[in-house]
Amino acid sequence: MGLLKKKDSTSTRSSTSPCADLRTAYHNCFNKWYSEKFVKGQWDKEECVAEWNKYRECLSENLDGKILTRMLEVDSELNPTKQADSKESSR
Amino acid sequence: MVKAYRQEHVYKHPWERVSAASWRKFADPENKRILSHILEVDTLNRKLDTDTGKLHTTRALTIHAPGPWFLHRIVGQDICHCVESTVVDGKSRSMQLITKNISLQKFIEVEERIRYDPHPENPSAWTVCSQETSIRIKPLSALASMAEKVEQKCAEKFMQNSAKGREVMERICRYMEAESARV
Repeated sequence: MGLLKKKDSTSTRSSTSPCADLRTAYHNCFNKWYSEKFVKGQWDKEECVAEWNKYRECLSENLDGKILTRMLEVDSELNPTKQADSKESSR
Repeated sequence: MVKAYRQEHVYKHPWERVSAASWRKFADPENKRILSHILEVDTLNRKLDTDTGKLHTTRALTIHAPGPWFLHRIVGQDICHCVESTVVDGKSRSMQLITKNISLQKFIEVEERIRYDPHPENPSAWTVCSQETSIRIKPLSALASMAEKVEQKCAEKFMQNSAKGREVMERICRYMEAESARV
């Protein structure tokens, strides 16, 4: 359901994302970095790269391609000055 | 026909804490019960500009959006996908989120903009949240004849959800404040 490729019923509400654990690991890492470093002015380097890559790989294997493409299109409409390297994450 | 409304809320917490709470809002397990309409949140892309201190993020939100029975028959689904595009400017201490629906676009266009900025009267300790939401039923869609009513119902629902969101944010901020006092 949600963004997953398989055509699931549209009214189920349980969270069955196969990437849920990797997502949680990435979000926890990000939240820590954001609070302890980013907001204190330490934005000199990317962190949580390993967690991000694992999570992203899972997403790209499981996401519905059509929905993802549309999301990234709308995102670039909302942010015309952003570079288009977001296309890489749609692999 | 567009229905638009604005809301403003002051958090008596510093911007750093409020913006961090915003990232945690949907994932916090205790708060998922309150924000039960949010089914999944995935991060699709994130880019940090190490020169300017700007953090760009794209997230996908899957929302359970049921309406009255006749709406389901017209629209055909209860699930709505949205894209949330966020820029956090670390230097100027500003966070802006724009959320738009990408499904059900034949029927409805919703755009929500939220900004978190330091409060002008107390910039180090308080944060202002300003929110603008616009709801538009597409004129030639099957919902057009009841556009005004549907827009009104949507607006009411969004305002209820915003109030829940604020409740969750306040809770997370208080938790984070207590955590930082312990350190």
